[in-house]
Order: sequence, then structure tokens, then C-alpha cells
Amino acid sequence: MKEKELHGKLSLSRRRFLKVCASAAAALGLGSEAVPKIAEAVTSPKRPPVIWLHFMECTGCSESLLRADSPDLATLILDLVSLDYHETLMAAAGHQAEKSLMDSVEANAGKFVLVVEGAVCTGDGGVYCKVAGKTNLETLEEIAPKAGAIIAVGTCATFGGIQAAAPNPTGAVGVRDVIKNKPVVNIAGCPPSPNNFLSTVLYYLTYGRLPALDELGRPKFAYGRKIHDHCERRPHFDEGRFVESFGDEGHKAGYCLYKVGCKGPATFANCPVQRFCDVNWPVGAGHGCIGCTEPGFWDRMSPFYEHLPDVRIPAGDGIYVEAEKIGKWAVAGAAAALAGHAALGVGKKVLDSRKCSSDSGKED
Amino acid sequence: MGANASGYYVRVPVWSVALRLYHWTFALSCITLILTGLYINYPPISTWAEFMPSFSMATMRTWHFAAAFFFMSALAVRFYLYLFGNRYEKIQDCTPVSVRNIKSLFHAIMFYLYMLKEHEARPGHNVLAGTFYCFVVFISLLMIVSGLYLMYPETGWIQSMGNAIFGSQQMARFIHYAMTWFFIFFTMIHVYLCIWNDIFGSEGIISGIFSGRKMLPADAVAKDGTIETE
Ligand code: SF4
Repeated sequence: MKEKELHGKLSLSRRRFLKVCASAAAALGLGSEAVPKIAEAVTSPKRPPVIWLHFMECTGCSESLLRADSPDLATLILDLVSLDYHETLMAAAGHQAEKSLMDSVEANAGKFVLVVEGAVCTGDGGVYCKVAGKTNLETLEEIAPKAGAIIAVGTCATFGGIQAAAPNPTGAVGVRDVIKNKPVVNIAGCPPSPNNFLSTVLYYLTYGRLPALDELGRPKFAYGRKIHDHCERRPHFDEGRFVESFGDEGHKAGYCLYKVGCKGPATFANCPVQRFCDVNWPVGAGHGCIGCTEPGFWDRMSPFYEHLPDVRIPAGDGIYVEAEKIGKWAVAGAAAALAGHAALGVGKKVLDSRKCSSDSGKED
Repeated sequence: MGANASGYYVRVPVWSVALRLYHWTFALSCITLILTGLYINYPPISTWAEFMPSFSMATMRTWHFAAAFFFMSALAVRFYLYLFGNRYEKIQDCTPVSVRNIKSLFHAIMFYLYMLKEHEARPGHNVLAGTFYCFVVFISLLMIVSGLYLMYPETGWIQSMGNAIFGSQQMARFIHYAMTWFFIFFTMIHVYLCIWNDIFGSEGIISGIFSGRKMLPADAVAKDGTIETE
């Protein structure tokens, strides 16, 4: 790695550059011996390009990447790793852009890193989302088999996101639901922490393989533990000190947000550790976790300020009630039924005994 | 009453020590699990008093987990008894799998609806109760699976199993909680019907779950001929 070459491409001193590599290594849980390897891989002239596809999404994940906590880390990817195609960031447009996409795919077949942002539309043949006259489904099915590695960024690309929420009119699904014969790394989150994405890319560039993944395809270094297990409010949780409503004394005192709907106990992510922009994260700022890294989170994690999802009553279309209410009504109903049953029994016993005494009077 | 013209009752050993132990372990752990579970789901009191440590949520969770292990052990015993217990504890004795048992099922329903006066002289569970208990055992399994998944979400096979059954932690949490109400519901009905049976039947079933013996009409026992008495 020549320093001059580095300086030409990147506004980073070598010292800062190594610092960035070290922070990436730390995020991945790797030791300091990995730092020179990462540095070498990133600056190697043979490093593969990154191709970034936008499907049904809000570009929030790209935005989050552009605001990555250490701008250096993002610069690393954006400047140094060649980002051959990114609809939001590239200069090219129209046919020129599409041509450069296909050129890069062909030239780097089997090597490039394919990043997908946004859900894949599968409803009605995928007609609801087209780029350059091609449906997302076609584009993905064409490019994915040629990729060296596939990374799905954000909740939409991983689990379908908001457009996959019931009733999912466009048939939105995650990349994994379409590309079944290739491993897909899921960087879940709405948006995900950019560091998790960048670290995954660096890992792949360095070792030529994907990091260890959990069952849902999320890298274990970032999604191995629940939010709740590393949350700074956890001691308040154990102590039984809860915020009752936003803005109350408990809230001001920094108590646990469990009772105002925090989904930390059901959500896997490293937000408490790898904070957004190294500054803060939702729970740190006083809002409960909404569980955005979990599958189907728009359906399952809402209402965001309740502990558990509501239940849809089959009879009343669109009527949602809390499970709690159903349970209480069922128990109250049963109690009433039992009381009725007991009253009936007592009444019958009284009647029977009257009948008995009169009967026995006759018999004797 | 009619079927017991002689008016004598005999004491019949029905429930083994293992079954009685199972019953009480299950019952006490259920009560602990329901109470601590309701607290964990929605802690009604916030201990804002910071001058005194309470550690309430952590304590409730500890009790909940401890009770859960008793619950699981109890259930394991019940499964063993379903297969290898005495003739009244076996699964085929208390589920509607034979003509005699189907008759018993309807008999119990009619009896509970005050449509029959006669209590069925039967050493084991009546089939209505037995079938319902099977259902409870099944729901208990669901509780165990969802509970383990919530408690050990990072453990390999538990994670795979939970993901396959529930899809996400939140779903497991929801089912785990919703089923709590089933156990409250069941406990209520069970306790009520036991008291009711103790009043309207002659078996003395409440003392039976302590002593393991039931009082059965001598005539019915003599007619059956296979029931061992004391
Ligand atoms: S704020 Fe949320 S994640 Fe933190 S301890 Fe409370 S419930 Fe858990």
C-alpha cells in the first residue's frame, strides 16, 4: 500500500486510516492483528467493486451510511472501495448508468459485492417497482447469481419492511425470499447502523468470506445479543423502576422504558454498544426500542408504545384489541358461568330435597 | 343413590405417589408462574424509591425461572405416567379412545349440566376431565417451548426451534403471555369443578389428590371385578 496513492484518493492521513481499520476490526470483534490485513485488503488494487441496487425503499439506509459515525469509515467505502453503481450517489444517469452497471457486473462476475437496499416486489410479476424498465425481481434474479457476496441492507431488503406489512398489496419480500441458493447477509434495521454494514464489507474484503451469521442471516458480531442485555437502563429494569409515561419523573430520572413499549427484550441488535454516529441511540435518547431489526416488525412490534401486539378479532374486520382484554373477558366470562352453574346446582339441590322429603313421606 | 343400593363405599387406591407429586408440583409452579408472569408482563408498581434497593423485577424473574424448571420436571413426570403409570394414569384411560371412554365423556358432560343425577363410578379421571388435562399438557408444552426460547434466545438448538415455531421473539412473547390467561382460566374451572364434584359426587376427590384414594360405591366395584381395593 503506497501512501501517496492513498492520499490521492482519500482525505485521510495514514494514522487516521489505520484508526478506522482498527475501529472496524473492533466492531467485528477481531484482534489488533486483523488491522494490517484490513488495511491491505481495502487498498489492494484487486479489491472487488460494490454494486448497490435500490428497490422498494426510502433511501434511508443510504442516508444513514452517508452520515456514518466516523465519516472516515464511510469515505473508506465510498472513495476507496469502488462503488460502481449506486443510484443515489453515482454521477452517471440514464442509459449510461445502466450500461456501467452491466459492464461492471460482467467484468467482475463472481467477485463483486452486491448490496440491495429495499424490498423486492413480487406481486403481479413485480410490476409495482421498475427501474430502467425492468422489474426489481428481474434485475435481482439477473445480477444476484453473478455476485461474489450479497448484502441486504435495511429491514426492507432483509424482511420486507413497511411495504411487507399486512396486507402487503405489492407482495414485498426480502432478498432472502427470492435468492435461495446463495447466502445473503442481512444487515437488518430501519435504518441499520452504518457501522454494521461497513464492518461486514470490510470483513468480506479482508477474508474473502462472510462473517458468521445467525439463523436469520444477520452477522453475529452485530446481532448476536438482545438490545435489552446491553442496555444502559437495564439496572432500572431489574430494580423495577419504570417510566410510566413520557415526561414523568421516572423519565427524567432515566428509568427503564419497558412499560412505555420498549421492545429491547425482543430485539437483537448492537445499538446500545455501537451507537448511531457514536453519539446516541433511541433508548439513550429516552424513546423505547421499536424492534426494527426483527422480522415483520411493522406488524409484530406495533403498537410501538404497548408491550405486546394487539389481536385482530376475526369477526370484526379491522377491530384490534389487546390480548390482555381478551384474557380478562374470557376469565370474567368463565367466572360468571361458574357462578351460574353453582347457583343452578344449589337451586336444584334445594328442589330435590323438597321433592325427596315429600316422596319419602308418601312411601313410608 | 340408585346404583349403590348397598350403601357401602370402598376405598380404592388410584393415584400413585408420583402422580400426586406431579399434581402438586404442577399446581404450585403454575400459581407461581402466573403471579410472577403477570408482574413481568406489566409491573403494576414502579419502585421509584431510590433510597432502598428492591430488585423487584430481577427477583420476580428469578422466581419465574425457578418455577419454570419445577413446571418442566412435573410435566416430564406426567409424560412418563401417561406411558408407564398405573392403569388409571395411562393416557388411554382418560381420553375418548374407546366406546367405554366416549360414554364416560358424555356422561360427565350430562352430569355437569345437571341432566344426570348419577355420578359415574370410575376410579381414574372422568374422560371429560382427562381430555381437558391432555389439552392442558399440550398448552404447557407450548409454554415450555416459548419460555425456553425467550430465556435462552442465543442458544443454538433452542434458537432454531423457536425461530421455526414462532418466527420472532416478539411472537413467542405474545403467545407465552396469551396462554397465561388460559392457565388462569383453567385453574379457575379446575378448582371450581373439584369442589363441585366433592359436593355432588361421593368420591371425595379433593382428599383423593392428597391420599391417592377414591371412595367408590361397593356395588359398582364388585360389578367391575377388576378394580383393586384396599
Ligand atoms: S429500556 Fe428497553 S432495552 Fe433498556 S432495559 Fe428497559 S426494556 Fe430493556
